[in-house]
Amino acid sequence: MSAPLTSAAPAGTPAGAAAPWPVRLRDVVVRYPNGVVALDGVSLDIAAGEMVAVVGLSGSGKSSLIRTLNGLVPVTSGTVEVGGHDVTAARGRALRALRGEVGMIFQGFNLAGRATVLQNVLVGRVAHAPAWRTLLGAHTAADTAVAAEALDRVGMLDRAWHRAAHLSGGQQQRVAIARALAQQPRAVLADEPVASLDPPTAHGVMADLRRINRDLGITVLVNLHLLDLAREYGTRLIGLRAGQVVYDGSAADASDRVFEDIYGRSIRPDDVLGT
Amino acid sequence: MTAPAAVRPSRGGRGVLAGDVALPARPSRLAVRALSAAVVVVVVLAFWSVDIQWGRLSDLPSEVVRYLGLMFAAPEWSKLPEALWQTWRSVAMAWLGTVLGILVATPLSLLAARGHGPAPVRGALRLLFAVIRAVPEIIIAIVILSVTGLTPLTGALALAVNGIGTLGKWGYEAIEGIGPGPVEAVRAAGGSGTQVLRWGVWPQVLPAFGSFWLYRFEINVRSSAVLGLIGVGGIGDMLTSYTQYREWSTVGVLLIVVVVVTVAIDAASGALRRRIMEGARARAVQP
Ligand SMILES: Nc1ncnc2c1ncn2[C@@H]1O[C@H](COP(=O)(O)OP(=O)(O)OP(=O)(O)O)[C@@H](O)[C@H]1O
Ligand SMILES: [Mg+2]
Repeated sequence: MSAPLTSAAPAGTPAGAAAPWPVRLRDVVVRYPNGVVALDGVSLDIAAGEMVAVVGLSGSGKSSLIRTLNGLVPVTSGTVEVGGHDVTAARGRALRALRGEVGMIFQGFNLAGRATVLQNVLVGRVAHAPAWRTLLGAHTAADTAVAAEALDRVGMLDRAWHRAAHLSGGQQQRVAIARALAQQPRAVLADEPVASLDPPTAHGVMADLRRINRDLGITVLVNLHLLDLAREYGTRLIGLRAGQVVYDGSAADASDRVFEDIYGRSIRPDDVLGT
Repeated sequence: MTAPAAVRPSRGGRGVLAGDVALPARPSRLAVRALSAAVVVVVVLAFWSVDIQWGRLSDLPSEVVRYLGLMFAAPEWSKLPEALWQTWRSVAMAWLGTVLGILVATPLSLLAARGHGPAPVRGALRLLFAVIRAVPEIIIAIVILSVTGLTPLTGALALAVNGIGTLGKWGYEAIEGIGPGPVEAVRAAGGSGTQVLRWGVWPQVLPAFGSFWLYRFEINVRSSAVLGLIGVGGIGDMLTSYTQYREWSTVGVLLIVVVVVTVAIDAASGALRRRIMEGARARAVQP
């Protein structure tokens, strides 16, 4: 195992004050128990503070890639390092500490609908606070302050006491972003964060992610299947096809031709979100 | 109703759908057929083995009428206060049994859920729940009786033990049926097993659990009357005594009280349960 994890920035400092982490994959293969090879020898170097859009057709391995970075999907072979820590070797407490430094955002928001917005955001503190406190919901003032600041960043502070299920989809995704921010993360992973949102809301959420990257300097990896979003919000574009990296370059310069190469077919109207 | 002609697969290949797509082979339905046959066999065997004396059945209506007359023609209302007091003791027994059952069953059901408890513990707990459910409350009470004696506490403990079997099973089934999203979110944030249970599982199952607890209370109210039969106190005890002395006019009063109280508690608890579950659903439906 690599160097021990230092704890996050002292609670109470602005979310994201901790130094961002780079990500490194070497020959990563993910084979699921049913025999499907989701990642087939992926090697990548992502610098700290980059905003990377990962694109590819359904089933190309985008989710699998992003899930190997926090150990939700174990790799079959190869190594994954985030911030110099070997995710593939981490187990138990060490793995949980690593996950505590990496925020994750999901397509389906994954909030506890009956819990309040604030309680959901405080889930971001589970790896940073003593277990008994999080179990009893007896959060410290410092943790609550971090959660409040995270909510404020996504413009949801006034909803702190609402039930999560009472919010619209876009609002729920903002709360989920706040939950990730409350971790004071060094990297944020987003798996199709706007796939279930309408176009204006999708742009709002993507803009939030961009601000996290630009203002707080946090490394952001975001899975997208819409090429205009990838172009607009990513600084770097990684194209996956059948579990392999088939494109890696600037996002802004990626022409339709590039996307056709990644997708292995011509561009269709539903590959763009529009405005 | 027939489908519009244009939608029907046209064999000539002129329409939109050429009709040359074959369904994949249907999965074997052997298991369903075998099960249906087994059910039929069991029903036939059941009729055959209980040895029904159809002749006796014809006496039943007149006997029922006779006893109804004995019980309800002139109910012994002077016994009402004691009946109410004993009913209260039964309900208290049911309440205590429910609370004790909840306290033990809730942590056990979390441990017994797939994906949360360690596999050997899970297996052992599921077996325990199944065994408990197989034993009637009254048998459990008779066993406990030897320790705690003929007191309402015995009844409460018997109900609690039996409740562990049902609440435990409903609990782990509910936990296994929840959405994986919030669970995964807590895990991704670095949460431990207990933290996942607390913030990923618990908020999702709380409405279902609340409803189970109320339903179990309803069951316990009914069972507490039956448990009185072995003498642990409450309305069941009183009912047995007066039936043995053949004081039908008092038995009538007791039956009225039992029915009214049980129906009232069922209705109140049922309404509460519907509110909990519908509330949960309505909230889930909102965007
Ligand atoms: N838990 C799993 N068990 C087995 N196979 C899986 C599992 N998860 C994904 N797969 C398979 O691995 C391949 C890659 O899946 P993955 O979810 O990474 O793709 P994706 O690019 O995220 O697709 P989508 O855009 O549909 O989300 C697919 O063929 C999928 O069926
Ligand atoms: Mg995916």
